[in-house]
Amino acid sequence: MAKHPSQVEHSTRLPYARTKTLGRWGLPKDIRKNPWLYIMLTPVLLYFTVFNYYPMYGALIAFKDFSPRLGIMGSPWVGWEHFESFFQGIYFWRIIKNTLLISIYELIFAFPAPLILALLLNEVRKTLFKRTVQTLTYMPHFISLVVVCGIIKEFTMSDGIINDLFSFFGWERVSMLLESEYFRTIFISSGIWQNIGWGTIIYLAALAGIDQEQYEAARMDGASRWKQMLHVTLPGILPTIIILFILEMGRIMNVGGEKIILLYNPSIYDTADVISSYVYRMGLQEFDYSFGSAVGLFNSAINFTLVICSNWLSRKMNNTSLW
Amino acid sequence: MNAVTFFPNLADTPFGKALADKTGVQVKYIHPNEQQTKEQFNLMIASDELPDTIEYDWTGRSAGSYPGGPEKAIKDGVILELNDIIDKYAPNLKKKLEEDKELDKMVKTDSGKYYVFPMIRNPAGLVFRGPMIRKDWLDDLNLPVPTTIDEWETTLKAFKEKKGAKAPLSVTYTGGNFEIRDAFIGAYHTSNTFYIGDEGKVKYGPVDPEYKEFLTLFRKWFAEGLFDKDFALTDSKALDNKMLTGQTGATVHQLSGGIGKWMDAMKKQDPKFKLVGAPYPSLNKGEIPFIGQRDFKYNPGASKAITTAAKNPELVAKWLDYAYSDEGAMLFNFGIEGESYTMENGTPVYTNQIKNNEKYTLQQMVSIYAKPNGPYEVDSRRNWNTYPEQDEAVKIWSNTEAEKHILPAFLTPTDEESKELGKIMTNVNNYKEEMFVKFIVGKEAIENYDQYVAQIKKLGIDRAVEIYQSALDRYNKR
Repeated sequence: MAKHPSQVEHSTRLPYARTKTLGRWGLPKDIRKNPWLYIMLTPVLLYFTVFNYYPMYGALIAFKDFSPRLGIMGSPWVGWEHFESFFQGIYFWRIIKNTLLISIYELIFAFPAPLILALLLNEVRKTLFKRTVQTLTYMPHFISLVVVCGIIKEFTMSDGIINDLFSFFGWERVSMLLESEYFRTIFISSGIWQNIGWGTIIYLAALAGIDQEQYEAARMDGASRWKQMLHVTLPGILPTIIILFILEMGRIMNVGGEKIILLYNPSIYDTADVISSYVYRMGLQEFDYSFGSAVGLFNSAINFTLVICSNWLSRKMNNTSLW
Repeated sequence: MNAVTFFPNLADTPFGKALADKTGVQVKYIHPNEQQTKEQFNLMIASDELPDTIEYDWTGRSAGSYPGGPEKAIKDGVILELNDIIDKYAPNLKKKLEEDKELDKMVKTDSGKYYVFPMIRNPAGLVFRGPMIRKDWLDDLNLPVPTTIDEWETTLKAFKEKKGAKAPLSVTYTGGNFEIRDAFIGAYHTSNTFYIGDEGKVKYGPVDPEYKEFLTLFRKWFAEGLFDKDFALTDSKALDNKMLTGQTGATVHQLSGGIGKWMDAMKKQDPKFKLVGAPYPSLNKGEIPFIGQRDFKYNPGASKAITTAAKNPELVAKWLDYAYSDEGAMLFNFGIEGESYTMENGTPVYTNQIKNNEKYTLQQMVSIYAKPNGPYEVDSRRNWNTYPEQDEAVKIWSNTEAEKHILPAFLTPTDEESKELGKIMTNVNNYKEEMFVKFIVGKEAIENYDQYVAQIKKLGIDRAVEIYQSALDRYNKR
């Protein structure tokens, strides 16, 4: 007997959604009950302790005048000095604006792109065609970023292929990476090109998990293909979308610094310079470790806040959350 | 040119083996990735995992060199003060320093501390970079080698119209460095960076009123398509491509990395292809160029400091000192007798294997048997030029007043001054580079030049000039 879609809404929880809380003395008891599980967990915990938590104490240098020889503990404290000089610097608002804008454009254009492709692929009934499209769209994901950026540079040069194309329609040839107004478009669209196929994998997996009976029921109720997608498919993968969205929110201020560093040049700093590229220039190229680290810390604090907020919001609204 | 192109490690090259043989010291070399030397150096310092000796620029002057300079590096406990060590364990170097007072002044700090085993350049090898132009095109068009800005403009126009050059003049621009350096800028009696004015005072070129005239010129050339439309994206690979495919007919580049390399590459494809050095352009005919490239006897980038991590600094010093001995000098300059060079009438001559290798250039071959750059004294008999045009270019490029105007690279601001200087120049450089490109591509009105100058002043350039002035005064007193 087929269930109506509204009745199954909450049964599509993801496996890592919270199911049960351990009581006050629950943990030791649980360890005794499942020793092997915990032993298998140890390497993971170790990994995070060593590579993710231990280095965090290095963030201290944001409050110090770090000198490599004196070490982290030995360097003198300077309090909020580096933060202040960042907030008062002439580029503060510009890099905040650039970071936010690029992220927002990514959320608007790049985030839904794999979802749309996945939905489209889902409607395709010819397996061979579907496979081919999938493989072709995956491939750019495996090209190294350095190569991708080299390609982008070549294509956007004043005598590159994109200019060849546009000049055919009577546009004037411009060196596109010298023009600040093109940068965001180039950045976002090349990102979509590179990652759209890869991004569809998770959605396609989620789509495969939708109960076929629901479609049957919908068809019996007279739903068209479009209505089926709207009322069965979309609600079916909504938790996945939300989880991915929350993860994306956590990276909102973390615009891919590497790619920007590979692509930008001083003439487009006004749209291309973001927090991470600025940290790279100041911290590593100019040797100002403490300053770079202060900016980085500030950035992480914002990201942290954003994840917490979006997670909370999503739990309130949808009952779906990361924790 | 890097030996690592052929061998994964310098120790495996014939040179490395010969050096180990002679000195009895087995050395483990670590080679940074060429593109990321600066980042890797910074990471190495930050992680405090130092090898015994590091070949790097410690002066604190150039981009990427140890910030704060040698005094600070010694005070930070990164490298050793070498006075005692040189006295006791480096007799060959000591002799050279005693004989050459000018060199001695360059390789020590204001307070008289030695900090590296220096690379000492051959006095004839101080000029190796400048404007160059396609001579075969000039001949076709019946034009002389341009000397003034006006002549350059005529020539570039002709290159564009009659030779189909898409970017008649192109220079590399990598990592925020415009490699035109002082060419063209010097025509207006200023410089791309700090320089010494006619009155002997330190000045900062990019805020001079004359600098605006240079920007106006290049803005015009850019708009007219005489100067590469993609100039801010042109790295050395892109420039190679432009030169070799006839998109570019003139650039500012190096003797062997430019003239030599490109002529080699075109030898077979287009035997007519010919590049010659052009004089640093001036505004009026017959003027001696105000400034140009001219390096110093001491090459800090190819010099080695001994780090505090060295367990046996005496041995390191002895090993390094070998390069300054007569025997060591031959190995470092020419390689192995009978293999890479032979003595003819008392003069070392590279063998055919090195000179006329089918696949590799002279420099590439030399890098296996000798050390093209490094802490030793370059022999005045050494000449890597493979074309007469190269010898000619050196003469042409040498005819400048650079010696009077270039700020010595070995000024050592004090610890406090360096810190202040660092903060100022980070901001100034960032802002200057951005505005530089914007002025040239026409995105910023040239009328805003005064605002740009005001902003740089606000960022503290006057203080930076002051710091360099006092460092220069101290340098002159050394």
